[in-house]
Amino acid sequence: MNELIDHADTVNALLARYGVKFGIYKNNEFHEQLFPFDAIPRVITKAEFAKLEKGLIQRVDALNAFLRDIYGEKKILADGVIPEDFVFASKGYLAECEGIMPPKGIYSHISGIDLVQAKDGEWYILEDNLRIPSGASYPLIARELCRRASPKTFMHNAVADNRNYADLLKETMEYVNCGGIRAILTPGRYNAAYFEHSYLAERSGAALASCSDLFVEDNVLYYRGYQDKKQRVGVLYRRISDEYLDPLTFLPESLIGVPNLINAYRAGNVAIVNAPGNGIGDDKGIYYFVPQMIRYYLDQEPVLKNAPTYLPFYEEDRKYVLENLGKLVVKDVSEAGGYGVIFGRDLRGEQLENLKALIERESRRFIAQEVIDFRDLDIMDGMDRVPRKADLRAFVLSGETTRVWASGLTRFSRNPDSFVVNSSQGGGFKDTWVLSR
Amino acid sequence: MRQKEEDMKRLKFINRMELSFDKPVSGHAYALRCIPRTDSAQKIETLLSRVTPSGISKAVKDGFGNLVYTGSCAVPHTAFGYEIKGTALVDQNRREREACHPMYRYATLLTGWGPCLESFYETHKTAGRAAFEMACSFMQAIYDEFVYAPGATDIHTAAETAMAQGKGVCQDYTHIFLALCRKAGIPARYVAGMMIGEGATHAWAELYLDGVWRGFDPTHNRFVDDVYIKLAHGRDYRDCILERGTFWGNAVQKQKIYVSVEDIT
Repeated sequence: MNELIDHADTVNALLARYGVKFGIYKNNEFHEQLFPFDAIPRVITKAEFAKLEKGLIQRVDALNAFLRDIYGEKKILADGVIPEDFVFASKGYLAECEGIMPPKGIYSHISGIDLVQAKDGEWYILEDNLRIPSGASYPLIARELCRRASPKTFMHNAVADNRNYADLLKETMEYVNCGGIRAILTPGRYNAAYFEHSYLAERSGAALASCSDLFVEDNVLYYRGYQDKKQRVGVLYRRISDEYLDPLTFLPESLIGVPNLINAYRAGNVAIVNAPGNGIGDDKGIYYFVPQMIRYYLDQEPVLKNAPTYLPFYEEDRKYVLENLGKLVVKDVSEAGGYGVIFGRDLRGEQLENLKALIERESRRFIAQEVIDFRDLDIMDGMDRVPRKADLRAFVLSGETTRVWASGLTRFSRNPDSFVVNSSQGGGFKDTWVLSR
Repeated sequence: MRQKEEDMKRLKFINRMELSFDKPVSGHAYALRCIPRTDSAQKIETLLSRVTPSGISKAVKDGFGNLVYTGSCAVPHTAFGYEIKGTALVDQNRREREACHPMYRYATLLTGWGPCLESFYETHKTAGRAAFEMACSFMQAIYDEFVYAPGATDIHTAAETAMAQGKGVCQDYTHIFLALCRKAGIPARYVAGMMIGEGATHAWAELYLDGVWRGFDPTHNRFVDDVYIKLAHGRDYRDCILERGTFWGNAVQKQKIYVSVEDIT
């Protein structure tokens, strides 16, 4: 695979040419920047992937069962496995979605599960992303371009072909299609992941729609594109967050969204991928309970571990957290994208005391985790090969069956001292190779 | 023992709303919760609804159990409105037991806690007494201390803000009452509806007591009886907006509301 390094500049130039960009907002201004690609792939062996696959399928199946339960019967609460407070006081729970049974009972069709590998080789789940996880398009196009830049590499290495992502996406959408075309709803070109929206629409044969291309009539969703032809939409892969999705159901002050989309969805006339209301499934507080969920719904032992996590909500955990704050990482349950993450070791006297007081006052607002000693991955820094922190976002697609895409987005931090790899915090990415033998 | 239908109060109601735009608007989509429906305490006997200019589609049940009627009008228009007329048979004693959804225990955007609510709560809570007495104490206290003043608040005013200024309208009375009851551990929900007389729509609260949702009207300091007709319920005002709409156009809109409920028993 070393020859790929020689082609890194070519691949990055191609990525720039294809517009593979990532947008970030800083001080309310939109900046589009290239998403730096590192040519050294993360390599996952066939046996290792088989274990990951098993654990990820199990996890996503349990999360889907949980979402069905929460917006339906709520048995897991009645049975006391999860305290009610963690569901109904969370911003992720949307009362507006109460009682909805989505087509085929699937809530999370495309799940992005973030993992890290510890120095001892053990994989840990860092977080679940069940709303609109982005990132699949980056390794997808990077692989394509690497194959073009260095075809030999893929003749000599037995790497599972990851170019089937668009087909998996198409099948996943078709499985829940309520009759009509497939469409991908984008907030537009000022969205951080606009490249991905357009690329996935093109590759999977879905219409790329902005809010003004869609409208609801008699509880049926229609698309009217530039050809001015009215077409019924049977499944909508929306890349816009819940609260802006329908101004007549959610935020009334929202200027975007599709009016009455949720009523069309409730009437069973369109599938929404992923289902609105999924935020309760990937809530940082709920994360703590996922292993219990796997036992509760599937009657199985979890294959993959959570990072050791404490809930200050429980007295015993709170005591531990307050005593060991200096070595823990604290996360605000209502924040995402690498925001609201505090490392205890970075805090000095007064700051540490303030955080302790805050945790005591608002114990439900935080989780605390042990800092995992990551296995670093090498990246190229100029001509040097240097180790950096990296994570893996695995994509799990739930349709007729639950499948794990044999690839994934490996993100790394370019800063040698940082543990935060989110692209919104300026990191880069790698291709993820799953070996086929 | 089940009462006979003759024992129920028969109310004649009209619920009318007109929106006028100073310039034509188009692409108008709307969702309405302005049509009463039959439940265990109220039976809608006759119903005539007219939505202009372009009508409504079949209703869907929302997350709170209300019926939502949707519709759209693509062509330019300068007026939009509805008229809902009919008769209802009401008897609050017939209200059946229901399960309580846990969402009604938690604070919302418009019923969030704050220092003014806290001090009011501390003054008027009845330590050690049953939920019902506690609720009555809150209702009496709000009625005594809060001043009915149209225009002092708007539809976005939260309970704490209203409490701080000490005046508002039925929506504010209800939000304050909901916040206090939820703090006391009593599940509470917001109700939008109509009350006997002529004027606008009204708001009150329902508390979950002994397995039944019971109506409390803090604006009038009275229990909800057979002269009230319910339209929608939810966690706060935002879940019960009777008419929500979006349209294309840069128009100034004016709204006129007329509601009348008459006892014709």
